[in-house]
Formats: sequence, structure tokens, C-alpha cells
Amino acid sequence: MGLLSIIRKIKRKEKEMRILMVGLDNSGKTTIVLKINGEDTSVISPTLGFNIKTINYQKYTLNIWDVGGQKTIRSYWRNYFEQTDGLVWVVDSSDLRRLDDCKMELDNLLKEERLSGASLLILANKQDIKGALTPEEIARVLNLENMDKTRHWKIVGCSAYTGSGLLEGFDWLVQDIASRIYVLD
Amino acid sequence: MEEELQSKATTMEATLRKKQQAMLDRLANRHQNRPKSTITDDSTSSSTAFSSKFSDSKRSVESQLAELPTLSDSCHLKSRLAEISSEISSLEQLVAESSYFLPSYDLRAALKSISDLKQSLEKLISELLPKKKFSFKNKSASKNVHTEPRETAKAEKSNPIITIPESPGFRNKQNEVLTKNFRGSEIGEFTISDLDSCEVRLIGSVRAAFINRLRNCKVYGGPVTGSILMEDVENCVFVLASHQIRIHCAKRCDFYVRVRSRPIIEDCGGLRFAPYCLKYDGIGDDLKEAGLDEESGNWSNVDDFKWLRAAQSPNWSVLDEGERVGSIQIEVLDNGNGKG
Ligand SMILES: Nc1nc2c(ncn2[C@@H]2O[C@H](COP(=O)(O)OP(=O)(O)OP(=O)(O)O)[C@@H](O)[C@H]2O)c(=O)[nH]1
Ligand SMILES: [Mg+2]
Repeated sequence: MGLLSIIRKIKRKEKEMRILMVGLDNSGKTTIVLKINGEDTSVISPTLGFNIKTINYQKYTLNIWDVGGQKTIRSYWRNYFEQTDGLVWVVDSSDLRRLDDCKMELDNLLKEERLSGASLLILANKQDIKGALTPEEIARVLNLENMDKTRHWKIVGCSAYTGSGLLEGFDWLVQDIASRIYVLD
Repeated sequence: MEEELQSKATTMEATLRKKQQAMLDRLANRHQNRPKSTITDDSTSSSTAFSSKFSDSKRSVESQLAELPTLSDSCHLKSRLAEISSEISSLEQLVAESSYFLPSYDLRAALKSISDLKQSLEKLISELLPKKKFSFKNKSASKNVHTEPRETAKAEKSNPIITIPESPGFRNKQNEVLTKNFRGSEIGEFTISDLDSCEVRLIGSVRAAFINRLRNCKVYGGPVTGSILMEDVENCVFVLASHQIRIHCAKRCDFYVRVRSRPIIEDCGGLRFAPYCLKYDGIGDDLKEAGLDEESGNWSNVDDFKWLRAAQSPNWSVLDEGERVGSIQIEVLDNGNGKG
């Protein structure tokens, strides 16, 4: 439905980016957002609805929507699709049992027309855990190579505990979005 | 030649390491430069302010929605729709900004209301506006109006099979006592699955634990520094400490837990909660190292994702003091893997 996007487009401020963070419950989305924002990550409860963080990143303002991934609230994800510039899909690389679930939910998401223009960053999180799959293995399980050719995407291994990989991922995302939307107009 | 390659590899590795370090430094800088902007206004007053603001604008949107069908001029109608839609967006923004201090029930109720408003609006748009006339100049709007996700294709099993190594754990056992000591080993994750009538004793700490498909079991564990993810357990007793505990599809189980955040349950029934009560030699140090030495009291702050009312969820209760086990004492074994 084009209506909401039109309004948001008009209201949109210069240099603002809307980022949607999704992924199965327990994958580490909230921990990642807080870590990037330099906040304390020692007490985090599972997300009951969603959080929004406005973060200044390089010369951009990121509006990061961190939506809970528990089964009950996955149906709310679609409320946040409109006008998304960047999609961050977070994977718990140590949760081998639910990789199928993870693939299925991601596949569904990528069929969403309202997300078709969004750059996709896949964060293979929890790399600090012994036994976690590498980003290459995750890419194979999720069959990323067969993704729609028009999609801009990248997978990065990271750890919200140590912080490694987070900036590499977000740097790419922000650059990719910027080159799409700000150079063009 | 080989040497050259090798030295090339080492310099590459060194630059890579340098780059990674620079990234981490940048992350740390973000931390230091963050403006100390935490607004610590009284959360009850802000939550009351939220409630009245929210219900005012919700009512306003509702009455505007109710008026819509009476408008005959279609141009006027469009601009009204746009206004209402933008009002719903602001309402959503308001909820998002308040999500940090709102009690969980209020938050979920607000989410539900917004979702309902959006649906009514979408419904009205499809009823009141003939599709052709309602075409904003949106680059990608040439395709169909409906954005429902297409049927989940179940036939996507075609992805290349990769063999996933089995992680450490206890699996497929009956009537056994299973003991593991994690001390001195590299910290990783641990899986407990498909057990019937077993007793599991875990000493030392791990980063993550997965517990699946247990029947009539007892699980006693030292601290988990990340989360415990649990699914499909029945008639069990758990004595666990963790930063997070996420319980799915559990029936008739008792939980003696210490948690830093709020434990959550989803699709559960007949659960009872009590404080952590495990004892073994050196558990004090293990708990301390894991940041779990203090009782947060969160064992009784359970959030039920399937319960959308402010009243106590019928799916869990506090275990009566008279019915609690006193404390559980387990032995520390030297080798990693003994049977008791
Ligand atoms: N070892 C390790 N644990 C992590 C990492 N990132 C997150 N965790 C832990 O994983 C658990 C889940 O993290 P959250 O950030 O709450 O996950 P989430 O994706 O926001 O979950 P929902 O809100 O339910 O969707 C927590 O116990 C975190 O401490 C990581 O990089 N390494
Ligand atoms: Mg979360």
C-alpha cells in the first residue's frame, strides 16, 4: 500500500535512514543495538514488542527498529516494513537446531514487496561461542548465493559480546544505503 | 617461494588484525562519546502521561475512521486518509519512544491497538477507493496492491545440504544420571535433548544452553552467562541460573531459577517458580564470575507472551514455600564425564 510510504517520504529528513532489525528470538538483536550505541548490555530482557533507537552514525542518523522475535510477536514484523532502507537479519550462529526456522523466516521476509528495495545485512552473531558456525557456513545454510540478483546483501560474522564485526557490518550497510538513496537525488 | 607466500599471509593477517583493532577502538569511542542523555524522569508519571496521550490520539483516529465512509468527495477523502495514516504513524512513534519505561502489559496493549487501527485503515482504503484512482506515484507501486507474504513454500528443501557438526551435549537417554564438569574447558554452548527420566548435573559455567524434549527429568545447572533456550519439556524440575531464560511449550514443570532479566514463557501451562537453590563446591565463585551472585528477585517476574491481560497469567504461579525442595547438593567430579 503506497500511502504510508508517500507520507513518510515527505516527512523524511535529510540523511536519515530507517533500519529494521529482525531475526529469531534470542539471536542477539537488542544486545547488538545497545552495544553499537555504547550502552550497558549486562541486563537485557527478551523484547516484548519493539524498541527504537536513534543513533548518530558517521554523518547519518539511523532510526533502528529492533523488533522482538518470539513466535507470538513475529506477526507484528510486518507493521514495520514500510519505508525500510536497511534490513538487518540477525542469526544466532550457535543455535544449530533452529537453522531451518531461521531460513524459513528469512525467505518469507525477502518475499515482502515492501522490503524489496532494502539493503540486507546478515549478522552471523555469537561468533565468540565455541562451536558456532562460521559466516560462510551460515551463508550456505541460508542459501544466500541464490538470492534475487537485484538485492544488495552482505553477511558478516560478529559478536555482540566482544563487539567484533559490528562496525564492519554497519559500515557496509550505511554506505550501501547512502549510495542508493542520497547519490541518486 | 613458499616462504614468500607465507610472509605475505602473515602481513595480511597482521593488517587484518590491525583493522579489527581499529574497529573495536572505534566502537569503544562511540561508548565514551555518547552524550549522557538518559532522561530519568519518574517512570510512573511518564507512563501515565503516555496512557492519556495514547488514548486521546487513539480515540481521535477512531472517530476519524468512523467518519470516513460519510465523505463523498474522493479528493477530500484521499487527503483525509493521508492525515489519518500519518496520525497512526505518530502514535506508533510515541509507543516506540515509550517502550523503555512502559509496563509490558501496556506495551502489548498499545501494539495491539496500533495494529488494529492500521488494519481498519487498510480495510477502509480498499473499500472506499477504487484501486485505479488511488495510485500515488510510487516507483515500485506498479505491481499488485496486496503485500501479504505469499504462501510459505514448503518445498524449499533444495538448499545444499551441509553437515552440521553435533555440539556438545546429552542426547537420547533414559533412566540415567548424567554429569558434566565444564571447569577448565573452553566456554561454549551445551545441548540437553530427548531425555526421559534422567537426572542431569552440570558444574561450572557455559555461555549458552539449549534444552529440548525432556520428560520427567531433573536438571541441575551452574551459571549460564548468555541465555537458556528451552522447548517442549514436561513434568520436569529445573534448577538453573542464567542471564536470560526463555521457556517455550513447557507443561507441569518447577523452575528454581536465578535470572538477571525477566524469565519469559510462551505456550506454557502449569509452571511454578521459586528461587535458585543449587549447591556444589565452589558454586559461589562460579556464580560470581558469571555475574549471578546476587539474587535479583526476577525468578518471580515472569512474562507470559501468550497472556495479554494485566491480571496474573494462569499459566504460571509462585511455588508455595512449603512445597519447595530445601536445597540441592551435587558432587563435583574430577573428570569431565562421569556417571553417578
Ligand atoms: N555469547 C554471546 N551471547 C550473546 C551474543 N549476543 C547476544 N547474546 C546473548 O543472547 C541472548 C539473547 O540476546 P537478545 O539481545 O536479548 O536477543 P534478541 O534477538 O533481542 O531476542 P528477542 O528480543 O526475543 O527477539 C542474551 O542472553 C545475550 O546475552 C554474542 O555475541 N555472544
Ligand atoms: Mg530483543
